[in-house]
Amino acid sequence: MRARLVPYLFLSPAMLMLTAFGILPLFVAAFVSFTNMNLAGLGNWSRIRFIGTTNYTELFSDEEFWQSLGNTAFFALIGVPGVIVLSLAVALMLNRGSGRFHRALRAFYFVPAITAIVAIALVWGYLYNTQFGLLNYLLSLIDVPPVQWLSDPLMAKFSVILVAVWRGTGLNIIIFLAALQAVPKEYLEAAEIDGANEWQRTIRVTVPLLKFAVLFVTITTIIAWLQFFDEPFVLTHGGPLGATTSVSLFLYNQGFAASQFGYASAGSVVLFLIIAVITALQLRSRRTNVDY
Amino acid sequence: MSRIKTMTVAAIAAATLAVGASGCASSPATSSGSSANPVSGPVTFWVMGDSATKFQDLVKPFTDETGIKVNAVAIPWDSIDQKFTTAVASGNGPDLLQIGISKLRNFADSGSLAPLQDKVGDYGSLAAENFIDGMAGDDTKVNGDTLSVPWVSDTRVLFYRSDILNANGITNPPATWDDLRSDAKKLTARGEGQFGYYVPQWDSALPVAMTWGQGGSVVNNDGKIDFNTPEFQKAVDLYTGLYGDKSVPTDSNFDQTQGFVSGATPMVVSGPYLAKAINDAAPELKGKWSATTLPAGETNTSLLAGSHIGMMANSAHQDSALKLLDYLSKPATQLEWFKINSELPAVKAALSDSSLSADPLNAVYAKQLENAKVLPLVPNWDGGVGKDMLKALNSIALTGSDRNSALEQLYKSTSDVSTK
Repeated sequence: MRARLVPYLFLSPAMLMLTAFGILPLFVAAFVSFTNMNLAGLGNWSRIRFIGTTNYTELFSDEEFWQSLGNTAFFALIGVPGVIVLSLAVALMLNRGSGRFHRALRAFYFVPAITAIVAIALVWGYLYNTQFGLLNYLLSLIDVPPVQWLSDPLMAKFSVILVAVWRGTGLNIIIFLAALQAVPKEYLEAAEIDGANEWQRTIRVTVPLLKFAVLFVTITTIIAWLQFFDEPFVLTHGGPLGATTSVSLFLYNQGFAASQFGYASAGSVVLFLIIAVITALQLRSRRTNVDY
Repeated sequence: MSRIKTMTVAAIAAATLAVGASGCASSPATSSGSSANPVSGPVTFWVMGDSATKFQDLVKPFTDETGIKVNAVAIPWDSIDQKFTTAVASGNGPDLLQIGISKLRNFADSGSLAPLQDKVGDYGSLAAENFIDGMAGDDTKVNGDTLSVPWVSDTRVLFYRSDILNANGITNPPATWDDLRSDAKKLTARGEGQFGYYVPQWDSALPVAMTWGQGGSVVNNDGKIDFNTPEFQKAVDLYTGLYGDKSVPTDSNFDQTQGFVSGATPMVVSGPYLAKAINDAAPELKGKWSATTLPAGETNTSLLAGSHIGMMANSAHQDSALKLLDYLSKPATQLEWFKINSELPAVKAALSDSSLSADPLNAVYAKQLENAKVLPLVPNWDGGVGKDMLKALNSIALTGSDRNSALEQLYKSTSDVSTK
């Protein structure tokens, strides 16, 4: 009996944290989403009214919400493949050596992941600046007219994606590198003896063996991009004309700038459901596949 | 992309429930008995920006005289909403806090500010007529209550590079918006990368001031937001016309100070903070630039901004806090604050004091403050009406949206917003 309880004892700290900061807030948000909770309601709970599904019907007729959903889809469709392909490619190349140079490179690629977002915003803000930015200066050397990196609605989307990809690869490179260490040398040797060249060994042996790492990175990256927030928040504040307002930023604006907590909670419940469905679909698709 | 941000909205609600409950339970213990004590304290004051140390210096004579200790806490401008939300939710806020006028309605709607109309009468410095017209009393009441008193004022005036204007044959700064448009065209013709004027795309006060200048208002007689007026149409003509003339830069991250210093945008409507930024960035420009009151349409009404101070209703040190408010509103204190922190006084007597108005720039600000109005006190101006208005104007000016449909959309989204 006691032996059966031990695992739960070890799990309990994590479970407690998850319950207190993950599951409980979820239920509270679901509850709040049916009320008109705002700053006044926060000060005095007697002013909170149940308003049924009004928040949801308003949300679905809110153009800004749909724009932010569209933006988030755009970010994820470009950003997720970008991060995965780039970090896998870099990890494969870094894995080819273990000398001092390669170790230094690993640290180099990890730096963006641990740099404070405020510093990133400042530096990239200067790089992207239309008048004085380095990027436009370099372009001017080859007679390209100034690009409105953060002012043009479409360009701004790509600009924030670039920063996020640059920042997001570091951690995933480390995960892929760790998985690459676990690829058995025997398989690669056997393939080599069979006459497979390096490209074939990478594509046919190494990458399939990384399947679990790829799945893990894909799921976490998709979730991260659906919750895309930091880069547009610090670089563009969601502008120009809402072109870089992600769902999370929309919720933040509704919740913390406008104090419409009920409305924002309704939005966060919708976002949660979208993420839950997408993640469930991914896990399901994995189950049907063969394992090595 | 951090995970932490994800469920913030949910987490805040949870935190609210938890902290709110404990706050309610503990508040009676802290408030009992202390409010009767005339020197109760310390009075906690939330001061915006990074001027807490300076504020502490400002109130030292007050503490010496009354024995009331003051504890100034610096709150960064961009985190005031979260800080205030937390204070409201937990019931553990400051005694007094600085409130930007554009946030006044939001903070008032929370119901956590103490009504002051019955109390200000006991303190000579707090009478509404002492303050700049339009800033105190009925003009900034919310739902019939006076929930704050003015603290510092701010306005918008026209800054111009006299050297560049002169070199291009413009001897006087434009006195009307029509003059400004034609001068801006002339200055834009200087060449590639040169403009005549700069429109900050995030500045929701400018189109409103343009409407006021045409003799109009953005609030109708019922106290509701109304952009469907001939005067606002004229303001739209002006705003989008400046873009149509190609007299203004289209980058959203164009740097106003750098543009002025480099001469790329030799005219701009901005506040006293720009003067400070120019002096810091380019002291050598001294004498080559100046400021004047806003260009006029029919009049030249500008923005009256600045900050008020409100008292939290659950403050345990209300008498001490009111004494401090009284001290802060004395002309001498206001002048001292201007001296150490360059924020313009909200008290008329201080504003017209010769030590201040001797500086020609200050004289311009003071003159403009005689014809300035606060933005409509609607809930969430910055994120609601102001944002919608800028979105409509900028989409017409920058992305070529259809003017009528963009404005129709604006009328629709703002018609229910009321100042009452």
